[in-house]
Amino acid sequence: MGWTGTIVNGVLLGGLYGLFGVGLALVFGVTRIVNIMHGEFIALSAFIALGVSSLLPDVHPLVLIMPVVIVSFALGYALQAVLVNRSMRLPDPLAPLLLTFGLSVIVRNLMIEGFGVNPRHIRQGDFGQLSIDVFGIPVGVLPVVTLMLAVTLFVILQLLLRRTELGRIVRATADNAEIVRLMGVRPASVYNIVMGLSFALAGVAGLMLALRTTFTPFSGVERLLISFEVVVMGGLGSFWGAMLAGIALGVAQLVGLRLNPNSGFLYANLVFFAFVMLRPNGLFGTRQ
Amino acid sequence: MLLDVASLDAFYDDLQALHDLNIQVERGESVALVGANGAGKTTFMRCLAGLIERKRGAITFGGHNILRMPAEAIARRGIALVPEGRMLFPSLNVEENLLMGALGRRPGYWNLQRIFTLFPLLAERRRQMPNTLSGGQQGLVAIGRALMANPELLLCDEISLGLAPVAVDQIYASFSRIRIEGTAIVVVEQDVKRAASATDRVYCLLEGHVTLQGQSRKLDLEELTRAYFGT
Repeated sequence: MGWTGTIVNGVLLGGLYGLFGVGLALVFGVTRIVNIMHGEFIALSAFIALGVSSLLPDVHPLVLIMPVVIVSFALGYALQAVLVNRSMRLPDPLAPLLLTFGLSVIVRNLMIEGFGVNPRHIRQGDFGQLSIDVFGIPVGVLPVVTLMLAVTLFVILQLLLRRTELGRIVRATADNAEIVRLMGVRPASVYNIVMGLSFALAGVAGLMLALRTTFTPFSGVERLLISFEVVVMGGLGSFWGAMLAGIALGVAQLVGLRLNPNSGFLYANLVFFAFVMLRPNGLFGTRQ
Repeated sequence: MLLDVASLDAFYDDLQALHDLNIQVERGESVALVGANGAGKTTFMRCLAGLIERKRGAITFGGHNILRMPAEAIARRGIALVPEGRMLFPSLNVEENLLMGALGRRPGYWNLQRIFTLFPLLAERRRQMPNTLSGGQQGLVAIGRALMANPELLLCDEISLGLAPVAVDQIYASFSRIRIEGTAIVVVEQDVKRAASATDRVYCLLEGHVTLQGQSRKLDLEELTRAYFGT
């Protein structure tokens, strides 16, 4: 495989990374909460997807998206309604951060307790291994589908936020949570929906991860790092910036692995580091 | 009576901001609150809208005690606040800002079309973002957004602050149109003369107390000045 193939596959990997980051960006943009358990939830959704796939062994893996999205949305909604909203009422702005940090430790250990530490994989037919030839470059079908899915979800999210009444309410709440109360809106209800959407996006990311590679309860930690890098590089709260940042990191990682097969995520981290030095506000960031 | 505030105390931390306020507003009436900076005018408005929790006494609106109601429930009952500094949503364009006001789905005269008839300029600028508008135009959006809720009581906090006189004139001119629909208006105003000429009654606040109240046209300016400065 030549350099072109490496870059094409890096771009496709970037679709997954963009998906990792966008849920985190959404929650931060609206609630100003840095959700430390985002990575754990990506890993948890991989296990949820594994469970759903064992219940429905004969369906196409992409059919799993719907049940995973529904379960993830419900979990995110409930988490925000039962715990996070309470922590947001405390005077200390660090409380939600500490809450999600504590939850990430609990969820990780519950996954270890429940699923063990052996690497798991969803083997739903041979979909994960299919490959097509594009101008002589071997391209995996799953990565292409992942990127297309990521772009589709970004467009849907954008339309939801720009064109609907719910989107107006979410944007207004992000602008000023006190003033929307004067319009009869309870900000906590908006946060519930936003956390649900964020988890739904993380759920899809977890499913695609589970189809693509093996995972363990520890898979969340490094995905959280990727998510953070995507959000910071893209500019806080910018969705398309997150997608472009994901692609930049994906390309950097695969180019790095080609130069040195032992480098892991090092080159992507170096690109992130260089980027933050040169452009600390991110691609589309405006806030200081 | 539309609004009856009795023995209202309000607090910021350990500081008492309002002392034993008694203020009434009739249906369709217009009332001005005047007073120096720090007199408690904004605190009072925020108490009515439900944005201040540490308060005691009684606030009766339309026959119901709303003292302990959260802001979002009060909004749905028909009190709309135009907050100090206008506080438009910077991520929403003019039309979207106006539509935010209508979320409570209260029936009534005002809708998007009628706001655009009242302030034709906003119809032209409906797709513009708030930060591209002048202060006066932003004021019109803020009032339009509050009217979209079809309130029975419209609270306007310092709407003329920092605006050109011609913009203030336009805002006050719209009040007579708004009152035709039976909406009562409470305005906080620094300009005592304007307050007296544009409203039915005036309350003067000083350090959280009502120091003077009366009908606007019978007001003695000298007496009002004393109440205003506490001399």
